[in-house]
Amino acid sequence: MEKKYWQSIEETRADYKPPAEEKESSMIEILANEANEKSSSRRDFLKWCGISFFSATVISACENPVKKAIPYLHQPETLVPGKAHWYASSFVDGNRFCSVLVKSRDGRPIKIEGNDLCKFTGGGTNAITQASVLSLYDDGARYKYPMKNGEKTSWERADQEIKDTLREAEENGKKCYLVTPTLLSQSTVELINNLQVKYPSLELITWDALDYNSIRKAHQQSFATAAIPDYRFDKADLIVSFSADFLGTWLSPVSFAHRYAQTRRVSEEKPHMSRHIHFEAGMSVTGSNADERIAVKPSTELDIIMELYNEMAAITGNQVISSPSAGYDTKALAEEILANKGKTLVVCGHDNLQAQILINAINHMAEAYGNTLDNRKTLNMGHGDKEAFAQMIKEMETGNTELVMFYKTNPVYNHPEAEHFKAALANVPLSISFATAKDETANMCTYILPDNHYLESWGEFMPVWGTHTFMQPAMHPIFNTRQFQSSLLAWAEMNTDYHTYIKQYAERVLFPKQNEYTDYQQFWVNSLQAGVLEIDEIMAINPVLQRQAISDAVVQLKRQTAQAAEVQFSVTENVKVSDGAYANNPWLQELPDPITKISWDNFAAVSPRFAQENNLYDGDIIRINGMDIPMIIQPGQAYNTISVALGYGRENAGKAGENVGVNAFRLINDKPFSWNVENWEKTGKKYEFARSQTHHSMEGRHIVRESILEKYQTNPKAGNEIRDYHLKHMVTLYPEKEYKGHHWALMVDLNACNGCSTCVIACQAENNTPVVGKQEVKNRRIMHWMRIDRYYTGDIDNPGVVHQPLMCQHCDHAPCENVCPVAATNHSHEGINQMAYNRCVGTKYCINNCPYKVRRFNWFRYAMNERFNFNMNSELGRMVLNPDVTVRERGVVEKCSFCIQRIQDGKLKAKNERRKLKDGEISPACAQACPSNALVFGDLNDPHSRVAKLIKDPRNYHLLEELHILPTVGYLTKIRNKKG
Amino acid sequence: MKKTIPKPRNGYLKKQLFLPLILLCLMGIIAIFSLGSFTQNEEIQNPDTILEPDQLENAGIDYPEDGIEPDQEEVETDPVESEFIRGEYTSQQIRRGERLFKGLVPFTSGQHDCASCHYTQPQKEINWNPAAYEMAVLWSRNPDYSIMEIMNNPVSMRLMEDHAGMTITLEEQHLLEAYFSKLTEQGPGELKAYPIRAFIFWGLGVLMFLALVDLIITRKIKFKGVHVFILFVGIAVHGQFAVVEAQNLGRTKGYAPDQPIKFSHLIHSGENDIDCRYCHYIADYSLSAGIPSNNVCLNCHNVIREGTLSGRFEINKIHNALETGEAIEWIKVHNLPDHSFFSHAQHVNAGKVDCAECHGQVETMHILQQVEDLSMGWCLTCHREQNVDFFDNPYFEIYERLHEKIRNGEIDAVTAADLGGEDCMSCHY
Repeated sequence: MEKKYWQSIEETRADYKPPAEEKESSMIEILANEANEKSSSRRDFLKWCGISFFSATVISACENPVKKAIPYLHQPETLVPGKAHWYASSFVDGNRFCSVLVKSRDGRPIKIEGNDLCKFTGGGTNAITQASVLSLYDDGARYKYPMKNGEKTSWERADQEIKDTLREAEENGKKCYLVTPTLLSQSTVELINNLQVKYPSLELITWDALDYNSIRKAHQQSFATAAIPDYRFDKADLIVSFSADFLGTWLSPVSFAHRYAQTRRVSEEKPHMSRHIHFEAGMSVTGSNADERIAVKPSTELDIIMELYNEMAAITGNQVISSPSAGYDTKALAEEILANKGKTLVVCGHDNLQAQILINAINHMAEAYGNTLDNRKTLNMGHGDKEAFAQMIKEMETGNTELVMFYKTNPVYNHPEAEHFKAALANVPLSISFATAKDETANMCTYILPDNHYLESWGEFMPVWGTHTFMQPAMHPIFNTRQFQSSLLAWAEMNTDYHTYIKQYAERVLFPKQNEYTDYQQFWVNSLQAGVLEIDEIMAINPVLQRQAISDAVVQLKRQTAQAAEVQFSVTENVKVSDGAYANNPWLQELPDPITKISWDNFAAVSPRFAQENNLYDGDIIRINGMDIPMIIQPGQAYNTISVALGYGRENAGKAGENVGVNAFRLINDKPFSWNVENWEKTGKKYEFARSQTHHSMEGRHIVRESILEKYQTNPKAGNEIRDYHLKHMVTLYPEKEYKGHHWALMVDLNACNGCSTCVIACQAENNTPVVGKQEVKNRRIMHWMRIDRYYTGDIDNPGVVHQPLMCQHCDHAPCENVCPVAATNHSHEGINQMAYNRCVGTKYCINNCPYKVRRFNWFRYAMNERFNFNMNSELGRMVLNPDVTVRERGVVEKCSFCIQRIQDGKLKAKNERRKLKDGEISPACAQACPSNALVFGDLNDPHSRVAKLIKDPRNYHLLEELHILPTVGYLTKIRNKKG
Repeated sequence: MKKTIPKPRNGYLKKQLFLPLILLCLMGIIAIFSLGSFTQNEEIQNPDTILEPDQLENAGIDYPEDGIEPDQEEVETDPVESEFIRGEYTSQQIRRGERLFKGLVPFTSGQHDCASCHYTQPQKEINWNPAAYEMAVLWSRNPDYSIMEIMNNPVSMRLMEDHAGMTITLEEQHLLEAYFSKLTEQGPGELKAYPIRAFIFWGLGVLMFLALVDLIITRKIKFKGVHVFILFVGIAVHGQFAVVEAQNLGRTKGYAPDQPIKFSHLIHSGENDIDCRYCHYIADYSLSAGIPSNNVCLNCHNVIREGTLSGRFEINKIHNALETGEAIEWIKVHNLPDHSFFSHAQHVNAGKVDCAECHGQVETMHILQQVEDLSMGWCLTCHREQNVDFFDNPYFEIYERLHEKIRNGEIDAVTAADLGGEDCMSCHY
């Protein structure tokens, strides 16, 4: 039976009426009306012709502008103008880590790509990493020089005062604090320790706004080792997740997405895949990929964890502690987990110590440690210490604190009790912020000593034991900023810069631990060039369970869930702004949310049933615990829950980030059960969201094809049967196109794609796609060259979700090409549907005739235009533009080019090296960025290429192939590992 | 058209007016032309500089026949040295310096016309001697700069020979310095092309307008052939202008701007036979061919300090730039529009195209000139005609179909166009 896919929520309601079709007036009518209104239109036309004829002649008599070419005085030997250089580096911000390559053109970094030498991240990236290059050029928000009370000051003067304060605090017995997020850099930790030796009054407080410390603490209690194991999703056959959005945001999503995709990919050689069961309240990226998704309230989730533990304990003969019934068949789940002993991985995203202790016990019973949980090379994340931070606030209040410093932390914004914290901060005589760009905490600090952007910094990091990565500057600091560590070195009076320091650190600490190189210099240069160094270094968890913690945990959890209210909320991190640190990045702000496709806002998601019962509609503003949030109806949202994304509502962030959405950190409280909605009400006000996808019905066509694993195993064409029918009925009037050389094609594996939207940002960064702003998104004029369509299927309360990346399909018989009156779009010799902007006159016929709606029209001039006051409206912001791609003018159509500049570059490289092109050598930005390798690009005429093989896969199909327009982009059927 | 407006006209007035009208307008056109050539001469006065009130007062200094000026000069008596304070010259001092420089008054050692070699305004022809402005800039930047010493500096043969027998007094040096101070304020001046074509265009436009007015409304000239002739010629000329101008819009064939250093490709590439890619070495592997950086120049000019034509003045600029850290701002000659992506690596390295095919006989040019129009048609002609290094480069093995055709004797060579060299997105993306 045909699956019904539906899109808008209204569609599923009984009283749904399709919107009345707007009467479309024909072109003739419009012209006739116009002719009546303005009888002289033709004459006007002739007048204008005359004027433009004259002015053209006059203008042509003018001289051409003089362009200058300014060479180097001393050209560095390795630097070639007009050629890109790549530097291996690391994107690190607290717990967030990604090993990257930085593309630098003529001395300015323009693109971030994944470093495939890093085994931990597997060469992938995420949206935040991709967009991080834009923040480098954020001249509106970045601090440009050291400041004291808002006035410019010098580093020397600041250093002197701070050193004096540190010294005096020691003498007066007062406290000094340095607040940092989790530090993945061991050299920085060592450096801070050195500083503490010099100034014993200085205390290091590690505090993460989004904390993973409960996992670390739970392991301390369960296994007597404070560590976080590495989650090997690639080794798991059964993945059970409790609200852990490991593909989008949780811990190290890039690594996990890479590993997860490996178990999700099916082929005729490997016809099996992992099974993913997901419990959560709101729909997350990870939840949308699950085979079984169970939408439950946060309190029920905790109950299920307890019950699951008990069921498993009962089967394995362990201690059973009575717990409330959760109303879910946990017995079956327990049996399934135990049937997959050693191949199961259970993860929990709740920052709840007791729940994590039970998860440890469950994983222990499932024999995950040593198998799907790497207990030797453990993660170095989640060192945040809320208790220490709370203690610090107390000390600040008593007036016993002389100095407090904030590095990459913004508690004034994202501490749940910000007002309390602000009062305490005002009580401290000297406060310092190392913020790179505007933030709320820096605004309240005495000193702002701006840190370099990470692309201007040196660094050494250890995200996971045994893997060290390096950070190297791809550019000289743009402003008068100084790296945080250099500031510390100055105060420690160590008379060295951080670059020298980490070189010495590497020589002292890392060099002896490896045995590949005998020469230090060679070791350093090669490691820095690779960006990553693997050494045999472990921090092991001995999987011997300490059982006493469990009963205590159950007792406490029971107490917590007993206080749960009927309606609960959950706050979630999203793939865009995370804890708010990236709120001023217009690329990320405009990126449609992977699930709701809302850009430029956060929202309160409620379930359809809840909405119907309370007569709520999309855009109604509701008041939750005293906070006004506009709501949307989210299919798959657990009944009686409200989900809100964190990271919005910044007050001091810059032009793109301020006053966007509401600050959900304020919802968090420290009650025993913190997710209760004590009161909520309708305000009666309405709000309009900017959504990039509003009509999503497939209108009965087979746009997404899917099947289940069982069927696939018996018939690899399962779900794709219709393709045979279409192939049989293919008739054409056009001659078949012949591609003598390359024939470029892109294959999208819907099983590997998790909808994380990294590719969308990568495409934007590569192709100079403008940011258009909220109003223009509302006007359906978003400019992204590729989008990810999301469709829901089945039950509205618990739908299946499919993500479908959609870019130009580069049809061999492209409908857009036939209708262009000026032949601005036509077909290349290599199968690319090309677009010549300088020929386009903007009739938009092609947009009209494109069945995939992937073409975009430049309604405005987006660069250097006050109306679009984003990165392209500032001199510095435009530095991020890729010089190999035209910045399109107003009035032309644009679309995906398969990153033709990369193809041309790759071909040229092979030609100049006089060799054949290698498969995989050329990769468009989207495919390169994908952490799951869901997109594969290559040459169909090369029989050994991956795409040439994938296109013959029985799962392969093309979108709307019944039109016989022969797209070169192919999709592989989505297979779910579902029962029945 | 003929008799639709039967308005009776006064015959007397007709005869009285129509011919003078035509004459007047023809006169006007001629006047415009002559005015144009007149202003062209006048262009020598730098139009960009805003003259200070005291400069305005002495604006006539160029003309020695000016009667009042010499009287005033008499008033000024022998200036003692202390009268000259660097940077604070009186207008008289400046004026006297200018006259000395331009050879209007003799030096103590005789009549030397500095301006005959060191031109004071940009010129069309290349002049290897340093321009007055350039010397003035050097002087303004260096407080120890002494004209006397430099003129007869034994380090430079050229200087010695050219300035043989010329000596100047300290006072004259100060006067010249005073003139230099004026020059540095004025700037280098601009050489402006006179747009004759625009005047022809507008003149004909006016004539056509009058012819039309007379043809339809005033009807002064009975013989319609005149109108038809004027309109016919006018439309033809305008059409030709429109086509030519539109084609050349943004194209700069023949462009040969003055460069900050009088660098001669003729001497370097022609006489000394230096390979193009010795200096433009990144052409092999970058988009740009690269303007050589100063350290490349120094490979030779570390030793070669004096040129045959320009002496030391031009070569010194390379060294000065390195000392001051101020980069040399060359004027780009070959400009492509922003939407065209041209890679030197593609053409020079992979395509094995000779530099001269696009840049012309550079070794014959003192001042580099653009010889091709760099139009799209010109690009495509080459893409269609040039054969590709198809057999030797393993990259092209993927083009099996074409290899097969060659084996079958269907084609005997492969052009860039056969490989997609005509695709829009080969160059525009």
